[in-house]
Amino acid sequence: MTTQQKHSTEDTENTGKVYEYEREPVPKSALLGFKSFVGMYAGEHCAGTELMIGPLFVAAGVSAYDVVVGLIVGNALAVLSWIFLCAPIATRMRLTLYYQLEKICGRKLVTLYNLANGVMFCFLAGAMITVSATAVGVWFKFKMPGLNDLYPNSAGWVLAVLVVGGLIAVVAAYGYQTVAKFANIASPWMVLVFLAFGFVGLRQFIDVTGQEVNSLGGLWDLAKTQIWKGGAPQEGQVKFTFWHVTFFAWFCNMAMHVGMSDLSVFRFARKSWYAVASAAGMYVGHFMAWLCASILYAYQLHLDPSDTNVLPGPLAYRAAGLVGLVCVIIAGWTTANPTIYRAGLAFQAIVPKTSRFTVTLITGGIATIAGMFPAIAMKLLGFVALYGMLLMPMGAVVFVDFWLLRKFGLQSYYAELSKKTFNWAAGIAWLGTLGICFYLVKYAGIQIFFVSLPGWFIAAVLYILASKIYQKKFRPQAMVQQENKS
Amino acid sequence: MIKLIAKIVSLIALMVLIVPSLLFFSGRMELDQVKWIMLIATIIWFVAASLWMWDNEPKTQDDK
Repeated sequence: MTTQQKHSTEDTENTGKVYEYEREPVPKSALLGFKSFVGMYAGEHCAGTELMIGPLFVAAGVSAYDVVVGLIVGNALAVLSWIFLCAPIATRMRLTLYYQLEKICGRKLVTLYNLANGVMFCFLAGAMITVSATAVGVWFKFKMPGLNDLYPNSAGWVLAVLVVGGLIAVVAAYGYQTVAKFANIASPWMVLVFLAFGFVGLRQFIDVTGQEVNSLGGLWDLAKTQIWKGGAPQEGQVKFTFWHVTFFAWFCNMAMHVGMSDLSVFRFARKSWYAVASAAGMYVGHFMAWLCASILYAYQLHLDPSDTNVLPGPLAYRAAGLVGLVCVIIAGWTTANPTIYRAGLAFQAIVPKTSRFTVTLITGGIATIAGMFPAIAMKLLGFVALYGMLLMPMGAVVFVDFWLLRKFGLQSYYAELSKKTFNWAAGIAWLGTLGICFYLVKYAGIQIFFVSLPGWFIAAVLYILASKIYQKKFRPQAMVQQENKS
Repeated sequence: MIKLIAKIVSLIALMVLIVPSLLFFSGRMELDQVKWIMLIATIIWFVAASLWMWDNEPKTQDDK
């Protein structure tokens, strides 16, 4: 759970209204210490989806060096992005991303952004429901989807997702705060269960291969020759190299750091360097948890190379029994809960008259339907990259608006100043960048995992150029009066 | 006092949760035993941690 959510839910339960300094800077009295951010990031990034991502690396034919060094480098780049891109603006302005975007882009463009954000959150929550439902399959033994399945493949699967997703949606609508508290309690336990997956998986590999492991060198040999062997990916998967792993680790939370979503989190930080706390999330969740989960899948492939199914439930059950299954359910549930809640908030901003209960319930319903389609979970690597790419241009807009625009003789917060509800300069930067990125992926052979890096620079340049034209054409009255005076 | 005891018990539960998998890794415990001990540690953790973590308010200015 994020700090932002903690504040919002506290007030939500008491008054039915959200009050989290949504439209004003966070006051000094509400600032948080470093420890709060360490705990928050460590918990939030050890989630149900980690149980999919780790195995999907193995399915992508990654080698030991590429996955270990790629994750170290990629996670470091992600932490640096939080430190140098997101947190400095957050601690200077102390505003939510949405309010900051409203000042820059205008209300209508922010609504469009909310819609895109909400839809992506729905699909992400769907993948988390899929993860939880695989644990149900271990008990009831219905046919579960395979690695390349796009559609639900059994009535049992549909029913399991319906029950799990339905429960998650109802609980998110009724008792968000209760689940959020439960998630806090589950968080340290879950981290250790992930670690236990790794230890158990390693021993199982040692036993089944008969390889001697008496030192770190021996462990590395086992990793290279048995666990992450490299070579061709599974059918239907993209081959992952060092660069794929690095860029994936860097950009899988792109919406949060480069995309600036975590402005809403770090506006509570006393100092911008507190963003270094994100390393706790990256190296616990996106290093340890991914590697441990991938060991379980590699072991499954070692036992039966034809069993390519990535199903967290059976994988966890083999390693840790009932605790593994409980971990899969809780990991999916506690992370789907805030995701559905966030999606609901995004949609509610579009239809503010609808009650949060109704919106959350409908959002949960959409996520449940999405969860029935294994395509999202099985293609999670590509989906996560798409999610980051979709929201990244707005991060570039915020960055340029804050640091660069005035240096070009242009106005920051132009929508607020000109009273425009749709800043076309920002709109062109966002939609234009997406169009160019789509073209690069579709016709120029750049994979989606890499396109967001040039995409950020394209968005920045487009925003400056479009602002030059747009601000010349639409001069705010306040600016004209000031110019006349001088 | 109860909260203090609950904190100590929950921390011990976390240790008991992870140690068996380490012992299994070093070849000193069977996997079935590991699974049972992890299950017991899990139950103890959720009961004990709920006693002191459930009512935790978000940290504000006191968290320095």
